[in-house]
Amino acid sequence: MYGFERIVKARMQRRIGPPLLQPFYDFLKLAQKRQMLVHSAHAFLGIMHFVALWFALAVLLLGSDLILVIFLHLLATALLLLAAYSTRSVFSHLGANRLAISVLAYEPVLILIAVAIFMLTGSFNASAAFNHSTPLLYQMPLAFVALLLVLPIKLKKSPFDVAEAHQEVTGGVELEFSGLFFEAVYTAKWLDYVFCYTLVYLFAGNNIILGIGLMLFTFLYLNALDNSTARVNYKQMLRFSLGVSFSLALINLLINSLL
Amino acid sequence: MALLFVFPVAVSVLLIVSRKSIAKWLVISASSVLSILSVYAYFQIDGAVGITVPYYINEVVAGLDIAMLLYFGWVAFREKSLLVGILSALQLGGLVYLLSLTSRGSAPQLMVDKLSGFMFILINVISGIIAIYSLRYIDEEPCTSFRKRFFLSIIFWFIAAMNLVVSSDNLEFFFLFFELTTLASFLLIRFRKDEVSRQNAVTALWMNQIGGVAILAAIYFILYNGYGEPTFSTLLANASATGILLPLALICIAALIKGAQMPFSKWLLGAMVAPTPVSALLHSSTMVKIAPFVLLRLSPAIKDTPVATVIIALTAFVFIAAAIGALAQDNLKRILAHSTIALLALMMMMAAVGSPVTIIAALVLMLFHGISKSMLFLNAGVLERVFHLKETSDMDRLGESGPFTAMVITIGFMSLLLPPFGAFIGKWLSIETLGAYATEARLLGALTLVAVACGGAVLTLLYFKVMGLLINRSGEADRIKFEHTGPYYAFTMYLLLALVAITVFGLPLLLTQYFVPVASAVIGTPVNYMVQGWNLALENIQLPMVPLLIAFLMLPATIITAMFVRFKNVDRAKEYMCGEKVNYSFASFYFSTDRAIPYFYTVGILFFVALVVVAML
Repeated sequence: MYGFERIVKARMQRRIGPPLLQPFYDFLKLAQKRQMLVHSAHAFLGIMHFVALWFALAVLLLGSDLILVIFLHLLATALLLLAAYSTRSVFSHLGANRLAISVLAYEPVLILIAVAIFMLTGSFNASAAFNHSTPLLYQMPLAFVALLLVLPIKLKKSPFDVAEAHQEVTGGVELEFSGLFFEAVYTAKWLDYVFCYTLVYLFAGNNIILGIGLMLFTFLYLNALDNSTARVNYKQMLRFSLGVSFSLALINLLINSLL
Repeated sequence: MALLFVFPVAVSVLLIVSRKSIAKWLVISASSVLSILSVYAYFQIDGAVGITVPYYINEVVAGLDIAMLLYFGWVAFREKSLLVGILSALQLGGLVYLLSLTSRGSAPQLMVDKLSGFMFILINVISGIIAIYSLRYIDEEPCTSFRKRFFLSIIFWFIAAMNLVVSSDNLEFFFLFFELTTLASFLLIRFRKDEVSRQNAVTALWMNQIGGVAILAAIYFILYNGYGEPTFSTLLANASATGILLPLALICIAALIKGAQMPFSKWLLGAMVAPTPVSALLHSSTMVKIAPFVLLRLSPAIKDTPVATVIIALTAFVFIAAAIGALAQDNLKRILAHSTIALLALMMMMAAVGSPVTIIAALVLMLFHGISKSMLFLNAGVLERVFHLKETSDMDRLGESGPFTAMVITIGFMSLLLPPFGAFIGKWLSIETLGAYATEARLLGALTLVAVACGGAVLTLLYFKVMGLLINRSGEADRIKFEHTGPYYAFTMYLLLALVAITVFGLPLLLTQYFVPVASAVIGTPVNYMVQGWNLALENIQLPMVPLLIAFLMLPATIITAMFVRFKNVDRAKEYMCGEKVNYSFASFYFSTDRAIPYFYTVGILFFVALVVVAML
């Protein structure tokens, strides 16, 4: 998927783009590189971030408690934060601080959406949303808009890619990883994609076609947005997210709980 | 049982007159005896037992009440605090009037049940550990040796007052002990006797005195409405009588003030100026824990009333406001204080919701919060004394100079936050049960849920921000070597770590054998639970034991291992700094909440007014 995304993005910019399997070539190359690390705790936490993210994703795909999923995902991100904080590297720290602020920007919105889903389906379980007969999209369209507005933050897409911003903090939290250890962090990013698109899929209920449609739409929207916007700074991001996205999700929750 | 009340008083008196070497052994032995006694008492208690005190004790209590209020009056005079003076006069007038009104009834004044037993363990074990720790801490305090013994003495006096608070049934007795804890905290907060300490002590005094006035008013309304003797049992027995809500709400207000809910959070934040063991004492095992205790006592009576609704809304607001407030702090103790306020709000919310599982959640949070907070505060003391650190932003080298302390603090934070530690279970139970509450009280329930979840996320981020500074070290310091902090400090840390370990590994057992009986005693009907293989169900809530176990391996174990793990045969690289050779010191981000605080306080005041208004309607 990541490879596909890079192609689409390139085509939008009238480039040809890398081959579809480029991420796997990257993987092989990274595996061959000389192993380097700053200190063991840092590298270890990076690997564990990847493992913890897998766990959070598994819990989501198994249809378990949404609040638990969001919390586990938060903890997985926190491990990466901790890894970045554990070095005495300036850019790593800057990136970690920015990542923490990003988390603060999207987390409340996700929680509001989860609670709204709960109010509609009567259960926190993701499986209840997967099996919901009418697509949640029709019942809570505002929540979907709010989700679309926070996804770029979560996936570190422009205009909200302050956390990794290569031109400013040279990748931020990822900077000090290399070789196989970087591979873990790199692959964790794909997992984040799967995680986010599963959240999008939740809005389709048990309607598979709509689900795929939503995912495709989100995919195109994210790439178009990424290509067409310039980065904002973290203050603007936080203000936008807590001002606009949070309000939308809150209004949605109010409507859902009053009806 | 009576030993739990008399023994700490005796120790307290003995400490004042004994020599230093004797005082040391006295404190250690008294702490262990009290801990054992409290556990023994818990197992002895089966159902509620009333204790009728001899006739003359009533007179002693009345006399002590008046003496204490006169002392407050004197404090008001000496500190030139009009507020304390007015409140003392109000209390004194009210008390004398009530004494003239009441005839001595035959109902037992003290009543001990499982909930009291639960509190005994919390109070005595943790305060005992703090007392042992204080031996060393207070020894380094620049003050006379009499003041040092006086400090230790107040701690034991505090324990006695707390033991009595949780066993009083008669509200007049409750008032005395409630105010005695206020007095003890007042003396402890002003221990250093500088300008700030005295000011903050007076703030703590007048805020808690409002609570005292509220209790007196509650007694007055009970007598006026003619429910019988002013006791907790009377309140519970008349839960559906007309007009009962007002005295209930008044006692809840007293509890909310003790629990430092906004706008009364200032006294707890101000208490930071005292020696650190005082903060540990106030935050973990004594003082603020009166608040959830009282709400638990009253929860069958206030459940599903407008009073409970307002309390839930208030605590939900405080939870998120305190969490946001904590993000703005740099001082470690202030961060901890804000998180205490937030978690107290959660405990009280759970008690106010009052369903079986929420009661368990409140109890779980109370116990584990006590253990974790005492651990964190005692470590804040170690940081001050051994490493001379107070601000978190200065701690970026602690991972190299004091890895043991850094590790214990990290464990302390994790035990407040991560699965499978008790506090996480408490939070998790809270969120699950708030879901059930949300289906009943739609809008309020949903908003409460959002407040708890968002507040939880903010606190998580905050803890990780601090942990990030603690784990920070340069590439050269890959191998760590534990430092020595001295026998008392190390010993208390090991004790607390052992407690944490016991509670983690014994959690299923504790839940079913410890928390369930207490919760059953609180609501008066047995709580159902079911153990099936790996599954544990409380009422209709399933505890996901397997995911919890995996989460444990994943998170806390990971973070601790990360401190020790070493990859061999891997080359080391220096951090990337654009080729610069500069030594950086790392800080973290903060939010400025100064502008929001007045609004928080205003909203808090509105909630308190609403509480009285709905109770009167």
